[in-house]
Amino acid sequence: MTNAEPTAVPGAPFGAPGTKRPLPSRALVLKIVSALILFGAWEIAGRVPVSLAFPTFLESMGALFRMAVDGTLWTAYAETLQPLAVGVAISAVLGIAIGLWVGLSDFFDWLFSPIFIVMQAAPLAALIPLLVLAYGIGLTSKVLVVCIMAMPVIVLNTAGAVRNTPESMKEMGKAFLASDLSIILKIIIPAASPVIFAGLRLGISAGFIGAILAELKITPTGVGDIITYSRSIADYPSMYAAIFSIILLAVLFLNLLEKTEAVLFKGNQRGYVSD
Amino acid sequence: MKHLLKKTAVAVLALGLSATAATAEKIRIALAETPSDELAAFFVALERAKANGLDYEWTAFSDEELAIQAVLSGQMDIGFGTPYAAMQRSKAPIRILFQLSKLKFFPVTTKTYSKLEDLNGEPILLHSRGGGTDSIANVIESKLGMEFGERSYVPGSSNRVAALLGGRADATIIDLSNKNKLMRSEAGSNFNVLEMFDVEASDEALFGNLDWIQNNADDVQIFINALVSTYTDMHDDPTIIRRETNPDGPIGQLPEEILAELDGFYSDAVEAGLYSPDGGGRVAAKADMEWYSAAGQLDGSPDELNIEDFWYLAPLDAAMK
Repeated sequence: MTNAEPTAVPGAPFGAPGTKRPLPSRALVLKIVSALILFGAWEIAGRVPVSLAFPTFLESMGALFRMAVDGTLWTAYAETLQPLAVGVAISAVLGIAIGLWVGLSDFFDWLFSPIFIVMQAAPLAALIPLLVLAYGIGLTSKVLVVCIMAMPVIVLNTAGAVRNTPESMKEMGKAFLASDLSIILKIIIPAASPVIFAGLRLGISAGFIGAILAELKITPTGVGDIITYSRSIADYPSMYAAIFSIILLAVLFLNLLEKTEAVLFKGNQRGYVSD
Repeated sequence: MKHLLKKTAVAVLALGLSATAATAEKIRIALAETPSDELAAFFVALERAKANGLDYEWTAFSDEELAIQAVLSGQMDIGFGTPYAAMQRSKAPIRILFQLSKLKFFPVTTKTYSKLEDLNGEPILLHSRGGGTDSIANVIESKLGMEFGERSYVPGSSNRVAALLGGRADATIIDLSNKNKLMRSEAGSNFNVLEMFDVEASDEALFGNLDWIQNNADDVQIFINALVSTYTDMHDDPTIIRRETNPDGPIGQLPEEILAELDGFYSDAVEAGLYSPDGGGRVAAKADMEWYSAAGQLDGSPDELNIEDFWYLAPLDAAMK
């Protein structure tokens, strides 16, 4: 962390963007090396083999390629992305809105925070039968699972960030006779944005977990179906290929989110682990 | 520092070895579900085996595939399930020893349908893709030259009954005890049980790693003898299961309502032919090969498949003598 900066101050221009990150080529090399080490270890573990039920990396990639070519993978994702996209969208929009509210008002903090803390701590897999009882086995239950996984961390992070906006900045806004709306939009949100995005990243990763959990625990559809079906016919390479593909998608999506943050709130990037 | 690391590594290794040595005496059994009324006969057999000197411990897995994987990776010695696909695809040295139950499932529908052919093109609710009821649906399709409509999957016969009662499904395939419960209840008059051909293939079988079976031949023999004697006695008198259930064992600890139904459950099961008293053996092996080939879990024609690649019959043969 040679490029650490003080807490972002909205609107204050920092040095040229190029100086903020390590050289891209070095980052790229590191990424490739760590991927090689991981996949190499996987390949070796598969060849030993640690278990007859554990395929090698190359076998899994072969299965992934096969599923991509024959279209199984795409139909599965068309199914899995429905609860995931709906759930993540609801969690992000509603989560940030509620988080702002909770952060700004002590009353809403008192009213909502406990709910989200309970949601975050609840053993969701054990509660799925209750959700199925109330909402059936369709899309609604699955979206709810994604939301329960994703929303608490988004709400709680946003609320915490909003509450911790430097008091002096808000006072400055008031001194310049800014309206409440301007203070929220131009001071509080930009100041809170790094932590809000950190919450979004954590929330969305949790949403991916929720989507797969729902497909494994409620009714097997999409990627969850590939996982359970391949397992039941002992096609372990396909099973691990499906798991690998969802992790890959999650990583790509989180990178995209980070790029979005970099565009929306320049000056806040401080080099994240996932970049 | 290096020295310390070395010492730690040796200590950890020694600890690991001694731990495996300590547990090697006990047979580790991987159950595919938590103990329930359906496992009562199995636990009676375990009690009998214990009386003859078998030392065992069991672990319940949340599903059959996990139990199979645990045996594949050597964490468990003997498991529950029908690992035909695993045996063929992963070339795992795993063999079946005993057929614990047959695939006795029943197509149940609303009054709209009265025979299997009526379900041509109609949606159906099954357990899971690639599971037992899915294979039944596949074989129905190929035997009757028909095709079901959309298949949706809800694990657990009781959940599928709930879907049927709630009007969320019109046709499903459920197990014997749930079929009996449903048809004997008041709501039973709203549903039909469709006639189906007899199925001799295994639903659950006992299997283990071949090396382990051969190295522990004595223990395996005690176990198989106990199973054969329990199953034979059960066929003569299904109430022995309730009587021989150890009140302190996992089945004896179940609620009284479930225990009270054991006699009824096993009488129904014996009558419906859910269990073969001789552990299945070659007949079951042959039926399984035909069934799982037709269901798409085994590749190749059933005539070319070799029974010895899937079953290890020596203990069962010895027990039947």
